[in-house]
Amino acid sequence: MTRLRRSFGAPLAALIVLLTGIWVLGLIAAPQVIMIEQSLWKMDRPAGADELSVQIDRLYNRLDMLALDRAAARTLSTPSATDAKLAQIDAERAAVAAEIADLETRESTPVRTWTLTNYAQMGQAHLRIFAKTILAALAVTAIAFAVCYPIAFAIAKLEPPRRAALIMLALVIPYAINELLRVFAWQMILNYGGPLNAALGLLGIGPVPFLESGSGVFVAMVYAYILFMVFPLYNVLETLDMNQIEAARDLGAKTWQIHRRIVLPHARPGIAVGCIMTFMLSAGSYSVPYIMTRGTAAPWFAQLVYNRFFQASDWNVGAAYAVSLLAVCTGFVFLMMRLLKVRLRDIAK
Amino acid sequence: MTPTPSGMDIALSGAAVRFGTFQAVHPTDLTIEAGEFFSILGPSGCGKTTILRLLSGFLDPSEGEVRIGGQPMAGIGPSDRPTALIFQNLALFPLMTVWENVAFGLEMRGWKTARRRARAFELLDMVALGGQGDKLPSELSGGQRQRVAIARALAVEPAVLLLDEPLSALDLKLRQHMRAELKQLQETTGITFVYITHDQGEALTMSDRVAVMNRGRIVQVGSADDVYDRPATAFVATFVGEMNRLPGRIESVAEGRARIATAGGSFLAPNPGGLAPGAEAVLFLRPERLHLLAPGEAAANVLEGGLVRRDMEGAFSTLIVETGAGRLTVQRVNSGSGGLPAGPLRLGFADRAGVILPAGETADDAA
Repeated sequence: MTRLRRSFGAPLAALIVLLTGIWVLGLIAAPQVIMIEQSLWKMDRPAGADELSVQIDRLYNRLDMLALDRAAARTLSTPSATDAKLAQIDAERAAVAAEIADLETRESTPVRTWTLTNYAQMGQAHLRIFAKTILAALAVTAIAFAVCYPIAFAIAKLEPPRRAALIMLALVIPYAINELLRVFAWQMILNYGGPLNAALGLLGIGPVPFLESGSGVFVAMVYAYILFMVFPLYNVLETLDMNQIEAARDLGAKTWQIHRRIVLPHARPGIAVGCIMTFMLSAGSYSVPYIMTRGTAAPWFAQLVYNRFFQASDWNVGAAYAVSLLAVCTGFVFLMMRLLKVRLRDIAK
Repeated sequence: MTPTPSGMDIALSGAAVRFGTFQAVHPTDLTIEAGEFFSILGPSGCGKTTILRLLSGFLDPSEGEVRIGGQPMAGIGPSDRPTALIFQNLALFPLMTVWENVAFGLEMRGWKTARRRARAFELLDMVALGGQGDKLPSELSGGQRQRVAIARALAVEPAVLLLDEPLSALDLKLRQHMRAELKQLQETTGITFVYITHDQGEALTMSDRVAVMNRGRIVQVGSADDVYDRPATAFVATFVGEMNRLPGRIESVAEGRARIATAGGSFLAPNPGGLAPGAEAVLFLRPERLHLLAPGEAAANVLEGGLVRRDMEGAFSTLIVETGAGRLTVQRVNSGSGGLPAGPLRLGFADRAGVILPAGETADDAA
């Protein structure tokens, strides 16, 4: 703080601290805290709600009785006696009605109860979908890595710089298009009556229900998130000294040995970043499975979370689902870092 | 140490390299003897690294042939040649420990861990890095890293060691020390060393023979004395060491020597190219071959001039003298006799001191 003030002056230093605070609070802490908080309570009927409703029923009966009494009172002999009786009954009715209103508010105002039960709400079916989503996201990550590693290596190390820039541009262009449009386009390509099935039909194959079988989600997801794998890999491979590869070859290493001993170890931070991003994005993807399956295949977990919030209107359980996904994703990050022996500092680079 | 591996000889015959339209190396014939310390000296971009890549197998000649140990190398990749390369930036593997670096070639040959570790530590002992095997390369000093690179290359027991300016990253003191070490290593191992450098000091001190390259051509091959004292072209004369230049025209020739008329007078010097009278030529003269003449002292060649500057450099001093032939550099051994005589200086040099060569490209033109 003192150092900041010395380098930038008090107003600028205050601004920097303020902006950092907003960043940390608004972008990192607040969303997680809100979601976790939401997942840790539920609204319950208040304690003694059953007795309250019995009491309320009893009071309603009393009100009905009073109405009967009031009707009977009109037939009393003396008008003064009638008036006195009516006034007495009305006063009592008002008192009873007020009590009913009070009790009803007490009965119908749910009480916020802190609980972990939201996390126990996942039934077997949902657990299976949760596991399937995680496995599928892992598979998407693995496929993306298998596709991207050779591409990134070829661009970074084998192509002359100018052509490499051109190829990277060609890789980026699809990502200038809105994700929805891209996914819808693939939805149409893979559709039962789409061009791919038409082409397969010419060869006498199919039609293949790509979308209905759920494999369409895979294709679209690899396509949608592959760039998040290519770029970290490319960036890290570009920093690999070509002499290292040549030195290894000169010392007798075969191509696969060069990759295993030199290139892959060097690429570890990029692999970690690429895998983490691809995994997180595909594990939490909502639009891709939604568009690709249109309900014809089993949902992905993100869709379940959405349904908890908006169809079941149970925000607390929805939040618990979301936090579970977050926990698994965070676990994946640490697992990747452990496996690849990468520290946070390397990833930040 | 294992039994001394013997070096192999190398032969380039008509080997040339073209990159598109650029002729990186013109057709070259070159023979390097087995067990020789051979340097290729030249400015950057002269094609010396390209020749090294031809030998190491990272590059195939566009035409001609490379033979190592009598075997044609066509179609044999870097991993299968009896060569090992030491890179300019050393290219140590930063994520492996020092001993893993040294043992890398053995690992690739399928040696078991214990055996290659033992061998790596043997080699590290040999280069005086005994206790450093479990460190990372980044924890070593520049000179130590240098030795790791040497040990790593020697581990695969090459017959030819190719060195691509490996000392250029070191400071002067260390460089001089490493020169002596490399030379000694070459003598004890008997391996053929091919050493690429743009530093003539390195080439002259270590090499049995030096090839001077310019623009894709080897312009002279010879011992250090040959290229320094008997340069074949104006380029070699100016690239290797300091050189004064006195352009002029040949007046007369006799017995391998010629008399050349320059703006500073007419001088007698060797004429190795056999230039004929009337030819345009340049007299090249080393600063240390020019002497200050005492009053009345005679010399084969004499010229006069005024002192412009004197730089005291310790063991010797450098004088810049303005003469009729332009500014000349004179190197004067510090004999302890003190300062210079006042007034104009008389300079003299022997009739074998200089060399007359046809005017041509010099190192300054190339740069």
